[in-house]
Amino acid sequence: MTHSRRDFLFSTTAATSALALPTWMRHAQAEEAPPADRAAIADAAMVAARKAGATYADIRINRYRNEAISTRERQVQNVSRNYSFGFGVRVLYKGAWGFAASRIVTPQEARRVTQQAAEIARANAQFQPRPVRLAPAAKVVTSWRSAFEQDPFDAPLDDKIQFLLKLNERALAVKGVRFVNSQLSFVNEQKYFASTDGSRIEQNLIRSWPTFTVTAVDQAKGDFQTRNSLPSGRGMGLEYLDKYPWLEEAEAAGHEAVEKLKAKTIASGKYDLVLAPSHLFLTIHESVGHSTELDRALGWEADYAGTSFLTPDKTGKFQFGSKHVNFYADRTTPHGLATVGYDDEGVPGQRWDIVKNGVFVDWQTTRELAPLIGRKTSYGCLHADSWDSVPFPRMPNVSLAAAQDAVSMDDLIADVKDGILMFGRGTYSIDQQRYNFQFGSQTCYEIKNGKRGAMVREAVYQSRTPDFWAACDGVGGAATFELGGTFSDGKGQPGQVSAVSHGCPAARFRQINVLNTARE
Amino acid sequence: MLITESEAKAICQKILGLVKADDAQVSLNSSAQTHQRFAANTFTTSGASADTSVALTVWIGKKKGQSRTNDLSESALRTLVEQAEQMARISPVDREYLPSLSAQSYRTTGGYTAVTERITPASRAKAIADILAAGKKDSLQLAGLHFATDTATASATKNGNFFYDQKSSVSLSTTARTQTGDGSGYFLRSHFDAAKLDTQQIARSAINKALTARAPQPLDPGAYTVILEAQAVADLVPLLSASLDARSAEEGRSAFAAPGGKTRLGEKFFDERVNLFSDPMHAEVPATAATAEGIPAEKTWLVRNGVIETLTHNRFWAQQKSKAPTPGPVNLILTSATTPVTLQDIIANTERGLLVSRFWYIRPVDQRTLTFTGLTRDGLWWIEGGKIKHPVRNFRFNQSVIEMLSAGVLDTIGVPERVSRGEGGGLPLFLPPLKIKRFHFSSQSDAV
Repeated sequence: MTHSRRDFLFSTTAATSALALPTWMRHAQAEEAPPADRAAIADAAMVAARKAGATYADIRINRYRNEAISTRERQVQNVSRNYSFGFGVRVLYKGAWGFAASRIVTPQEARRVTQQAAEIARANAQFQPRPVRLAPAAKVVTSWRSAFEQDPFDAPLDDKIQFLLKLNERALAVKGVRFVNSQLSFVNEQKYFASTDGSRIEQNLIRSWPTFTVTAVDQAKGDFQTRNSLPSGRGMGLEYLDKYPWLEEAEAAGHEAVEKLKAKTIASGKYDLVLAPSHLFLTIHESVGHSTELDRALGWEADYAGTSFLTPDKTGKFQFGSKHVNFYADRTTPHGLATVGYDDEGVPGQRWDIVKNGVFVDWQTTRELAPLIGRKTSYGCLHADSWDSVPFPRMPNVSLAAAQDAVSMDDLIADVKDGILMFGRGTYSIDQQRYNFQFGSQTCYEIKNGKRGAMVREAVYQSRTPDFWAACDGVGGAATFELGGTFSDGKGQPGQVSAVSHGCPAARFRQINVLNTARE
Repeated sequence: MLITESEAKAICQKILGLVKADDAQVSLNSSAQTHQRFAANTFTTSGASADTSVALTVWIGKKKGQSRTNDLSESALRTLVEQAEQMARISPVDREYLPSLSAQSYRTTGGYTAVTERITPASRAKAIADILAAGKKDSLQLAGLHFATDTATASATKNGNFFYDQKSSVSLSTTARTQTGDGSGYFLRSHFDAAKLDTQQIARSAINKALTARAPQPLDPGAYTVILEAQAVADLVPLLSASLDARSAEEGRSAFAAPGGKTRLGEKFFDERVNLFSDPMHAEVPATAATAEGIPAEKTWLVRNGVIETLTHNRFWAQQKSKAPTPGPVNLILTSATTPVTLQDIIANTERGLLVSRFWYIRPVDQRTLTFTGLTRDGLWWIEGGKIKHPVRNFRFNQSVIEMLSAGVLDTIGVPERVSRGEGGGLPLFLPPLKIKRFHFSSQSDAV
């Protein structure tokens, strides 16, 4: 059965009643042009690829919608909707890749663009030092939809604006708060994948993220402090706005920004750290997520993002952390930002262990990477951020497993004599092999004799990835587990972004080096 | 193929002809890109893509709506207009609304050579194969990116303005690493003219750095005299310019805010040799002829002889303060008010210090002081008695960009050249090497 583009749009975006759509959306869908048939376009590309001598080819025909609303204090600064539609073709010829892309979605253009990709692959094949081999993937014909309840693109704009203005108002009501900037971001990816393996996969994904920054100013001293919102984006729809206490979060941010103006500065030294999930997820992202990307370990990112301290010979042997440390990769995590039905070469989303009982056990792989370390199949980590971007290895959701026991954050704090408790992502930086890192937070508190104490500021911690995770002597139970993440993890050349989540419980780390950023 | 000026004008006029709103602005962006990536001494990805998108902003009774599409069909453009107008009707009043620009006069700044049409896949593959062969001779692992892009941008307003500009850029970055992983070198250069990009020389520079960076020795963290190569300056100094904004300074939330609601405008904030400015007509880094808001770009002094001469005003803030909107920056140029010194001479004049090839993963730590953290990467060497002695293991730094350019800390300003940020993005840059008397390294990094 073939699907026209119009069918595709209705089957994915308007599974609910079309009457629920605002006028502009009904109009946009009714007027879509040209009404291209994706299967016919895919067929045209695949036939052209075979004719050009390709041993493998795939096409992604993708539509992207983005909505962004930004406000400051009591005014709307911007409301924008972006729409982008096009296709990209990969051709593998005599072990060399070629890629080409176009926004003109017709069978004729698909043939031309496939020939262009084949021409690039042929030019490369003359000099390709090491031919590319792909791990096999099963033929898949299916459709998949991420776990969202309400499509945010269907919701009245005014409701979304009022959501932000109410947030701002709640924060501004706190004495001492002078500015609030807030944003709502929604993303919809409607993806169609076809390959010479015979796969035909439709996917529809939605992501949502409200964010804000509250600023308190002490003009007499010429000082200012900010407090950013703590929750991350989710693979959810508009329901995310109802399922989190955003107004309370805005008010708390206001109080904490004001408190930061008066907080005492940290004394540098070694401290025990208790890190909340709203903070720890980013440390996991940088030190674990990126270090276990196989493309980095093989030098594929050496010119930009860097390599890794991990190498294939360390698989199954390297002591990554303490026995409390268990990391898993999971492209099926509910509401995860990197959760998919299938990756961008038709491999199903799956879950696997990365670090088990402290030992590094496995990598993130694609069909091209897997055979390079003797694996027969890919874990499905290929992704492109747009129809005109070349798919390449990207991070799945990588999470720290919670303790089996019901360990609370207070339990973790109770065993700390002189420590620091951190919430939220602050400054962050890590070296190109993922060893040396520095992280700050949104709010930071002393821990004295097992109790949370006063707020402190200007604290960052520095450590070395294996030392840091070896210093982990306790993780919280499932009740402390939260999902953090980012919409825009940068990697690759030309640069691409991807969305990824990291779940984690609260965790404790012993004797970590803490610096005062105002003094050092 | 890029959209031509006449095609761009026709599309803009078609869209504006459909607009019923009180005011409107169309922005068009057309681009063509080609790339070839290589790593581990083999080709990894390469491709070509093209896209054209239009963004429409409309105001109905000062209420704003904005929509963007890359579908240029008649029906899609109608939908674009209807979406933007529908959004404007249901949006609150835009309190920062200013009428769109009337006809402006723009200069031709150059910088377009159609690089994506001139570089064929075969010639590019051959050039990179030659680079890989050169690396192999020295038993090195090479990685890098050859990237070419042509862009055409246009904008038009309901009040009669029209702007069109084309730009090209071709770049090559190369990282060379030793097989044992104990040395790494990097070099990046770009130009708007492919004929002026010496790909073999870029690769040779990365190779030489890797060969001289092998087996780095440890050094205690602390404050050191550093010589920043132009690449390292490109990675760090542009982070300063974004903060030279009048509104945030006047609101008290910027490094250029002063106690009592004042700003640092007019103060000698930096070493008196520091000149920081933007010039769209610069021969080596020609920039767009219009700012993001459509103001005709002009030479703009941000810092002259160490004095903050401009805190930038966008159109809205300029109107609030009864000033003219700032016609820049559209590129960033740092020069010395005195005779600049070559990198070789700076090294020769250094008794003890560190030579920094580049920085990496630079992120803000404290906006009040413009303190950033990051790391050295791909080449760090100890200098003694005016000579490079040996490579040094990498460091993490926590450093205020303001402090390093201030009197008593900035030692020498070198000869500027065309450079790009290693982490990508940003304005076209023409920056010199700098010698800094005290640069703060807070810990060692094991990374090579």
